[in-house]
Amino acid sequence: MKEKFEVKELINVGVFTALYFVVVFVTCFIGMVPICMVLIPLIIPIVAGIPLMLFFSKIKRFGMFTISGVLFGLIMFLLGSYSWVIILTCVLAALLADLVMMAGGYKSVKCCVAASSVFSLWGIGTFISLFFGFREEYLNSIVDGYGQEYVDKLSSYTPSWMFFVMAAMCLVGGLIGGLLGSKVLNKHFRKAGMA
Amino acid sequence: MIEFQNVDFAYTSVNAEGKTIHENGISGLDLSIRDGEFVVLTGGSGCGKTTITRLINGLIPHYYSGELHGSITIDGKSVPDTPIYETAKRVGSVFQNPRSQFFNVNTTDEIAFAAENQCREPVEISKAITETAASMHIEKLLDRSIFELSGGEKQIIACAGVSVLSPDIIVLDEPSSNLDSGAIEKLKIILSDWKSQGKTIVIAEHRLYFLRELADRLLILKDGRIVRELNASQIKALTFADTEQIGIRPLSLLDIRYSYGRASGRNETLTLESFIFTYKDGKHGINIPKLELPSGGVIAIIGHNGAGKSTLARNICGLEHKCKGVMKLGGKALKAKDRLKQCYMIMQDVNHQLFTESVRDEVMLSMTDKLLTDEQKVQKADEILKSLDLLEYADTHPMALSGGQKQRTAIASGIASSKPVIIFDEPTSGLDLAHMKQVAGEILKLRDMGKTVIIVTHDLEFILSCCDHIVRLEQGQVVEDHALDKDTCNRLQKFFCK
Amino acid sequence: MQIGFQGNTKNAVFDPDPRAKFAMLLAVNIIMISGGSVGVEYALRIICAVLPLVLLLSIRNYRTALIYFILLGAAVYCEGMVLPHTHGVAGILLMIPCGILTRFMTGYMMCWYTVRSTSVSEFVTAMDKMHVPYFLTIPMSVMFRYFPTLGEEYRSIHDAMKMREIGQSVKNPFTYIEYVLVPIMMSTVRIADELSAASLTKGLSAGSRRTHICRIRLNALDILMIAGSFVMIVLFFIY
Repeated sequence: MKEKFEVKELINVGVFTALYFVVVFVTCFIGMVPICMVLIPLIIPIVAGIPLMLFFSKIKRFGMFTISGVLFGLIMFLLGSYSWVIILTCVLAALLADLVMMAGGYKSVKCCVAASSVFSLWGIGTFISLFFGFREEYLNSIVDGYGQEYVDKLSSYTPSWMFFVMAAMCLVGGLIGGLLGSKVLNKHFRKAGMA
Repeated sequence: MIEFQNVDFAYTSVNAEGKTIHENGISGLDLSIRDGEFVVLTGGSGCGKTTITRLINGLIPHYYSGELHGSITIDGKSVPDTPIYETAKRVGSVFQNPRSQFFNVNTTDEIAFAAENQCREPVEISKAITETAASMHIEKLLDRSIFELSGGEKQIIACAGVSVLSPDIIVLDEPSSNLDSGAIEKLKIILSDWKSQGKTIVIAEHRLYFLRELADRLLILKDGRIVRELNASQIKALTFADTEQIGIRPLSLLDIRYSYGRASGRNETLTLESFIFTYKDGKHGINIPKLELPSGGVIAIIGHNGAGKSTLARNICGLEHKCKGVMKLGGKALKAKDRLKQCYMIMQDVNHQLFTESVRDEVMLSMTDKLLTDEQKVQKADEILKSLDLLEYADTHPMALSGGQKQRTAIASGIASSKPVIIFDEPTSGLDLAHMKQVAGEILKLRDMGKTVIIVTHDLEFILSCCDHIVRLEQGQVVEDHALDKDTCNRLQKFFCK
Repeated sequence: MQIGFQGNTKNAVFDPDPRAKFAMLLAVNIIMISGGSVGVEYALRIICAVLPLVLLLSIRNYRTALIYFILLGAAVYCEGMVLPHTHGVAGILLMIPCGILTRFMTGYMMCWYTVRSTSVSEFVTAMDKMHVPYFLTIPMSVMFRYFPTLGEEYRSIHDAMKMREIGQSVKNPFTYIEYVLVPIMMSTVRIADELSAASLTKGLSAGSRRTHICRIRLNALDILMIAGSFVMIVLFFIY
């Protein structure tokens, strides 16, 4: 990463991160329908994977997507009402995705789909504090008032394995989104000579 | 002094089949532009005039890649060998699309942007902004959001950004494309100020009338070559017949001949009643208690920016569901929701209304008649495409087409929808003479099919070549409503020339 | 679409430097989310909870301040007074929203205040002064500039879909998403191209220093806020 980024690359990072954020944000609102609530970690990466794949097709070297992850994390934190943990998960997920794409030389479509899947793990940051940290402390703090039995019952409603199910949903959603995205790229952008 | 010596350039791009292609550049260009000269480049789309502006500001070869031969120098310094941020200190640029040339949201920030990039002292920049704003009379545009401004105001902010830097050379690439006659007048004043300050100005344009008194030299390009060169006195001597013959837009609006006239065939009317609508900001809107238009005619809606033209078009279309107005057409009273099914609008940016992966699919998407089988739909679509010279592109992706072809695709979808009212929003912005005439021809075809065509436009020449009725709006109200004929033609010309 | 920095501080009682806002934002977020309800931590949490209230009032955003005050007050009251006496499902239904409100709402309000009271140029200038590298500040400015554009693009596409009755005729949600997203993605590519060209001719170059006409300066109050925030964080980790 010795060479400087070009203006064009940085502008692409800006517009596509904005687009990704808006798609996530809007899908989140649509997903507020009670039944869909549980499926949010699956639905968001599916929809957001479509613009993400277009962004990936513009990425030619390491670092661009990691920058995007930092920005996305910051804006999710500032506007998305999540804890600061979200910044961490976004950056890590983006870094991982960047490495996956690097492994494919930023050309391999398979690696881009995999990267879409990996990046979707940023979603963990939105619910991790419901399972760890916040939850343990919270439960401990109410033991005195409610008694151990009540607390056990409460924790059975939000079992830890749910966390892993949700994380898996992110991965699968990202995978489907990536596949859909590459289909859309072929269908529209290659034909139109824009990708 | 800007010098081109034997310059060849071809853009390289990758086409749908993955092959590298070279296209649309310029060839064998020899040109020298003196300091303080005002040069106008014109010619049909793809003639290479934009390429010349890009060679001067360094976007070629630093941003647009392609094959470049020959030398381009500014005061002896080679542009291709100078980093683009160095060239930017000497050459200011204004672009066609006000929507995508701003880096900032705030107008003052945008005006300061180029100066900030050159690391000028903040105090100095602020002073320069205040002075520029005063001389351009744009104090009320400062410290606003770009998104609140009209196209004309945005373009003035872009010019102010250039003025603050005060570069020796200014290149403009079709700056008037999205402007109305009032805004063009302001642009003209800015240009003449720059000229009197001794700046070298190179402008690529289709619309030429506002440059008549300013231009020192007019270069007409075709297929990447300069085919004709005129000096100031020759430019002023050009008549309407001359420009028609050369194939460029006229240099004066006053002598455009009104060549089109027709007896209106039908006496039916399309009536708008109580079209009263105000936007949320409470400022802009329309207030039209009653308006009768000839059904089956071609109606031009004119007026300055902010007069409510687009608002009226949107309301006729039924896009503002809060509008309580009723449109009476063929004995039926249509509310906003019903109007959506009867009207079809071709938007200024047609990119927003093309959805599918091929031109044929795009047309078929509009056929909502469930009785048609797929074969019938294909057959009907192909007929429509044929009538608009699009059949050879039936399987092409709409986005791979040129601007004019995209617009025709949108028109084809409008025809396929079999809606009786077709509305155009600024169909000729940024079009050269040949394409403008083509659009006019298509509109007459629509009229012959029995459609009522409503056109929001700033383009006098275009109005005179296809419209037969004029509605002029001012502050949301109809101030003129008359048929267009030889007598009313003068009135129209006065409106555009004042 | 109302996303991004709106920066209207003309009516503000006092307008802290963006850096002071960042420091407070950091402190509030760390302390509110994991703080307990006893001793020093409790005191810190009270300070943090009051902070956004004062700041919201300072930018004369009375309505939001009132909503925040009522919601937070209700949640704290429930946690302290009502919850110990409720049992079963009702208890859980009450407990989860209360927990979320007491822990997250303050942080969210702090973010909201920061976004509302800072303009994009102030934000970017502050970033530059904090030596945030160019490869973050440039895309960040572009991002904030692009949000409203996305809104405009979406509105046009939505109109076109209404006119062509696509919303009603397309039943498959994926086709619908495709019809909305593809034109937006096309514009994004085009706008990125044109914006890059325009920025280059305005002399934007990656990595070189640039000046800012936007003037931000730390005054005594700002320094006090920053110092206070860090003292709070340190105290929080000690206890």
